[in-house]
Amino acid sequence: MLQAKEMVIFTIDGRTIEAPDDSNLLEIARRNGIAIPGLCYHRKLTPTGACRLCLVKIEGMRGLITSCTVKVTEGMKVTAFDRELEDTRKLLLNYLLYEHNDAYDGTYPDELRELIFRYGLEKPDNRYFKPVWEKLKFVTDDSSPVLTYDPSKCIKCFRCIKACDEVQGKNVLSFTDRGIDSFIIAGTGIWGGSECDGCGECIQLCPTGAIVEKPNREVINLEKIEKSVVTNCPYCGVGCQIELLVQDGRIVRSNGVEGVSPNDGRLCVKGRFGYEFVHSPDRLTRPLIKRNGSFEEATWDEALGLVADRFTEIRNRFGADALAGYASAKCTNEDNYLFQKFIRTAFGTNNIDYCTRLCHASTVTAMLKAMGDGAGSNSIEDFETTDCLFVIGNNIIDTHPITATYVKRGVVKGQKIIVVDPKWTPLVRYATVWLQPRLGTDIALLNGLVHIIIKNRWTDTKFIEERVEGGLEAFKQLEELTARYTPAYVEEITGVPAASLNMAAMLYATSPTAMIATGMGMSQQVTGTHNVFCLINMMLITGQVGRERCGINPPRGQNNVQGATDVGCSPLNYPGYMPVTNDDNRRRVAEVWGVPYESLSPEPGLTTVEIMQAGYDRRIKGIYIMGENPMISDPNLNHTEEALKRMDFVVVQDIFPTETTRFADVILPASSWAEKEGTYVNSDRRVLRGRKAVGCPGEARLDWKIIHELAGRMGWPMPEYRSENEIFGELARVTPIMAGISYVRLEQGSIQWPCPDKDHPGTPTLYLDRFNTSTGRGKLFPVEYVPQNEQTDRDYPLMLNSGRLLYHYHTATMSRRTKVLRDFVDESFAQIHPGDAGRYGLTEGARVRIESRRGELETTVRVSEDVLEGEVFMPWHFTESQVNRLTRDELDPYSRIAPFKLSAVRITKI
Amino acid sequence: MIREKRIILRNSGVIDPDSIADYINAGGYKALSVALSGTPVKVVEEVVASGLRGRGGAGFPTGTKKQAAAARDAGTIRYVVCNADEGEPGTFKDRAIMESNPHLLIEGMIIAAYGIDAERGYIYIRGEYYDSNRRLEHAISQAYESGYLGREILGSGFSFDLEIKPGAGSYLCGEELTMLESLEGKRGYPRIKPPFPAEKGLWGKPTLVNNVETLANLPGIIEHGSSWFRSSGTRRTPGTKIFSVCGDVRKPGCYEVDAGVILNDLINDLAGGTRNGKPWKAVLLGGAAGTFVPYSCNDLSMCYERLKERCATLGSGAVIVVGSGRKLIPLMQSILRFFRHESCGKCVPCRIGTTYIHERSLEMSGAGHDSRISILDEMVNHARQMAISSLCPLGQSPILPLETLQRHFNETIATE
Ligand SMILES: Cc1cc2nc3c(=O)[nH]c(=O)nc-3n(C[C@H](O)[C@H](O)[C@H](O)COP(=O)(O)O)c2cc1C
Ligand code: SF4
Ligand code: SF4
Ligand code: SF4
Ligand code: FES
Repeated sequence: MLQAKEMVIFTIDGRTIEAPDDSNLLEIARRNGIAIPGLCYHRKLTPTGACRLCLVKIEGMRGLITSCTVKVTEGMKVTAFDRELEDTRKLLLNYLLYEHNDAYDGTYPDELRELIFRYGLEKPDNRYFKPVWEKLKFVTDDSSPVLTYDPSKCIKCFRCIKACDEVQGKNVLSFTDRGIDSFIIAGTGIWGGSECDGCGECIQLCPTGAIVEKPNREVINLEKIEKSVVTNCPYCGVGCQIELLVQDGRIVRSNGVEGVSPNDGRLCVKGRFGYEFVHSPDRLTRPLIKRNGSFEEATWDEALGLVADRFTEIRNRFGADALAGYASAKCTNEDNYLFQKFIRTAFGTNNIDYCTRLCHASTVTAMLKAMGDGAGSNSIEDFETTDCLFVIGNNIIDTHPITATYVKRGVVKGQKIIVVDPKWTPLVRYATVWLQPRLGTDIALLNGLVHIIIKNRWTDTKFIEERVEGGLEAFKQLEELTARYTPAYVEEITGVPAASLNMAAMLYATSPTAMIATGMGMSQQVTGTHNVFCLINMMLITGQVGRERCGINPPRGQNNVQGATDVGCSPLNYPGYMPVTNDDNRRRVAEVWGVPYESLSPEPGLTTVEIMQAGYDRRIKGIYIMGENPMISDPNLNHTEEALKRMDFVVVQDIFPTETTRFADVILPASSWAEKEGTYVNSDRRVLRGRKAVGCPGEARLDWKIIHELAGRMGWPMPEYRSENEIFGELARVTPIMAGISYVRLEQGSIQWPCPDKDHPGTPTLYLDRFNTSTGRGKLFPVEYVPQNEQTDRDYPLMLNSGRLLYHYHTATMSRRTKVLRDFVDESFAQIHPGDAGRYGLTEGARVRIESRRGELETTVRVSEDVLEGEVFMPWHFTESQVNRLTRDELDPYSRIAPFKLSAVRITKI
Repeated sequence: MIREKRIILRNSGVIDPDSIADYINAGGYKALSVALSGTPVKVVEEVVASGLRGRGGAGFPTGTKKQAAAARDAGTIRYVVCNADEGEPGTFKDRAIMESNPHLLIEGMIIAAYGIDAERGYIYIRGEYYDSNRRLEHAISQAYESGYLGREILGSGFSFDLEIKPGAGSYLCGEELTMLESLEGKRGYPRIKPPFPAEKGLWGKPTLVNNVETLANLPGIIEHGSSWFRSSGTRRTPGTKIFSVCGDVRKPGCYEVDAGVILNDLINDLAGGTRNGKPWKAVLLGGAAGTFVPYSCNDLSMCYERLKERCATLGSGAVIVVGSGRKLIPLMQSILRFFRHESCGKCVPCRIGTTYIHERSLEMSGAGHDSRISILDEMVNHARQMAISSLCPLGQSPILPLETLQRHFNETIATE
């Protein structure tokens, strides 16, 4: 928390103003309605003092002073407007018009143009000089997929440079040449081929349209924008707030929303440009029924009637547990809440799960057991302010780009970063130390760190005594178990040098505050839950939790993957993590839902992969899949495919035809995020409001309305909700962690759960006073390292790792329907180490076949030292090369997550 | 007939600049021993008492700077930076020092560092000064070998490391805050002032920035005392000053004399008078960012206080003599081209103003009497606006030559 600053009183043009000491004079003046002009200043950037338009006079100071570079002090007397100042400003504007091409096409907000009008310079006759810019031989840079830079419109304000450097931490832009001839370059030349990754922060902060967006340039006209809607980004779990501009019923632009959490205006390339899919011609617009092997259009009445009948029939014949549902990490809380209610009532089973099982289920399982809450303990801002960040199995720069901006800003201020990853990630550039363990050896590594910490007495005994269950006794067990994980032993298993282990242990344990960011590399393993236990052990014995800026955080993959579990899309829990096996919980839920208590199943349901396995074994007969694409995202796809084929009745509700809809009996056309009202929960437990920007295409319907109607048709009618607001009202009543949240409150800004009542402000940091376990204490779970079952051998000599790219998202149904994102990357590839490339005779760009014990695919080779020798990395987004044909469905016994990160393979040239 | 008074340059041309032994035999590094045998405070006090003013152009009291740099945040890292960028047109005195007697500068820097307890120093040297660069490089390694640099200098508890950083050919990088940016490896844009270097300099630490000639004065002051120093020069500009005299004179070169020397004596007695033997037309004092004076100022006393009375500047000590046969408009145009070229482009008034007034000055060549007068007037007005509103001193400079040209040579320019 920032300490409240003292207030000072000063005057501007005789007006008395009160402001926090040390705040920026220009900012304060503007906030008080004193419109001092200025083009190079931006709230998010360090002051530049370049445009000089904000000059003022300050009593006791010599000459004219730029107000953007001055802090307010007690008793300061400022003159912001007088004849001399206004004359100087007018001259400066005339100077700008001398070098600036002021042609305006109405496609961007233009701050300079506003000033031109304000100072009466719109007519060329009123200007002092004949322009010179045509004589300066500037060349427009059109090489980027996302933007165009026109130097003749550039006023050299430095905002783009600082946006890229100070805000996004990328530092790609700079000026080249000097004086009036200077212009912006990306890297060492043009944008295309530079390190620019297309986040568009420079576009958003450019005041004159010198940098403009490419998409929709031809169409957009700011005067014709019919509405602008603030909503949630449809992609990752950072939950960035975006503003969608709608023209002629179509989304034409997405801007970052300034001044709100979690992103303060920042976006990544997906959030800024990834909306095109909404208007894709591929959208499903009418219900489809499969007849004789091909899909035929049907009416809603027909389709819903068929679905209701078939599901009812299966329930009656084979029992409730022959049915299952896949919820969606991309749908709202309201959609998912109704969906799980539907599965639990109309289906009468707890067989409900979704792709979270395949990402952080193990993390959540471990966190629930050890600490009592299945979510990140900190706020996104803490990623900037904590002293030390331990990033493990988490390519945060590519997968959570905006969280990463906080990290990079922290590094500038001296934050220490420990990266643990078998593969090079861009964060390694910022790391104090990088540990590169062999795939699947994390437990040995983490036990080794615990060993070093204990040896050096970097433990927090007081914390252990007061806040860990079993206190020093429990600690003793951990000490004994880790005794044999000496640095030498751990080096032997993991390949990480003892010196690096020592350094990492020291940095983490002895920093005043430290946070852990754990990712898929930890969780998507057969030992996923144990991996996270080890992390939590390390955290508990060092007391790096239970204070602000300390804790453990799993940045979440999809925009509502957190929320869907929070609102009950779990085979184990009702909304708010209330176990289904508990009678009281069942009674409470039954009462709010108005269903007989006996009708709710007390048996835990099957998880994602188990549902498919049960389908394979013909125990699950019918499935209702809402907005999920298991035919890309599930492991061991050959097996999944067979499972879907063996089921009697498959319903897929989606916005696009996908790899999964092929196996459906009925396809229900649903709505995209841009067509919905609702709420989402991001990675830092922030409940965020999503809003409708455009209508559904064709006959497509809102997801919740489809579920609602089906419930009625199956004889389990739900209340007549008049709006999403009312659904949330009910949701809040059954979800204790969200009980205090309402749409009215969310209008004022997002709220982090737990928020138990309407006066509760929300919870930025978990576990400050107690853990959420029954005893209020955290639990240690000492676990041993065991070698993985999946091993390489003569036939399958390489180990395959999989992961995400910045430009694509999940099964790419959305991201690959956006041209800009395809322009950056549109092809699958496999990274292999130069040593292996030599060994198997492979060169950059070679087409290869990759085979595992379960399946095969074809892809293209990229030779790279980013991976260790003996290991291969592939992004899993691409349907042409389905990585999950190769992976296993062997499960972590505790969380039932599958090991996407570890498959033995061989590569052959084709 | 006046004569040179060589104090800084006394060993120049006498000793072998590549030999530390020569320097020591001529009494070199004695001042350092004197300094190290006393306290740092004593060094600063002596410099304050000497009244030494910065020789880089602004004439700021060196002692005051040292006090400021020494005062802040006890225990923090501090730096000494020598400004050897010497980019001001017509100025070449720092080069004379560095090429002929590099150890004098090094000794001055060590003394300065001791005074403010700096642990590291940099010499930011003009890239094109190959010989200076090479000589200094050599001298520094000798000083390390002889224990004048590095750990525990001469057995005292004081340690100091010194390094050379060549500049990249930008005039603006001679401006102290821009130089610090450049030293930090960033592009040469000026910083916002305040904070001054003594508060937040290199990497945010207190930093003393001084010109080569300023630092070269320190050994003398420490060895012989401030009153000895004050026996040269004038009361408010004590010491000697090296003038770089060039232009239409018979013997261009560096001349070290008592500050306060009469301008005409400097030109006639030392620089051999004008080339055509006729009275000169104008002198540009202090380089491009300097002031023009007419022949009626030939009795000027070359010290800060007298020059200021006559609205002229001493600057870096450049004395560019314009002979009677030379035209002023082309000279003015080349000065303005220089500013246009050297403007970094960060701030609007300088970036565009320097381009605009240069473009206007080009129109003067073909213009008649009245329009020349009005163009010059317009240029002066613009330069004045630039001076008020620019971010750094570069944009505040064109007013100096333009205003003095207008004051003294309006009619000459209109008719030449
Ligand atoms: C554009 C510009 C260029 C400058 N170039 C130099 C230079 O080349 N050498 C120098 O010593 N000072 C130069 N200065 C002055 C320095 O900013 C600074 O005043 C000086 O280094 C301070 O040292 P001193 O106090 O010893 O004079 C320049 C100033 C400006 C505004
Ligand atoms: S491109 Fe835009 S933001 Fe960047 S310097 Fe030019 S005007 Fe400023
Ligand atoms: S970081 Fe995530 S939430 Fe933010 S814009 Fe990118 S994809 Fe969207
Ligand atoms: S005054 Fe000139 S040199 Fe100085 S910052 Fe402005 S543009 Fe750059
Ligand atoms: S806003 Fe202050 S100088 Fe540009």
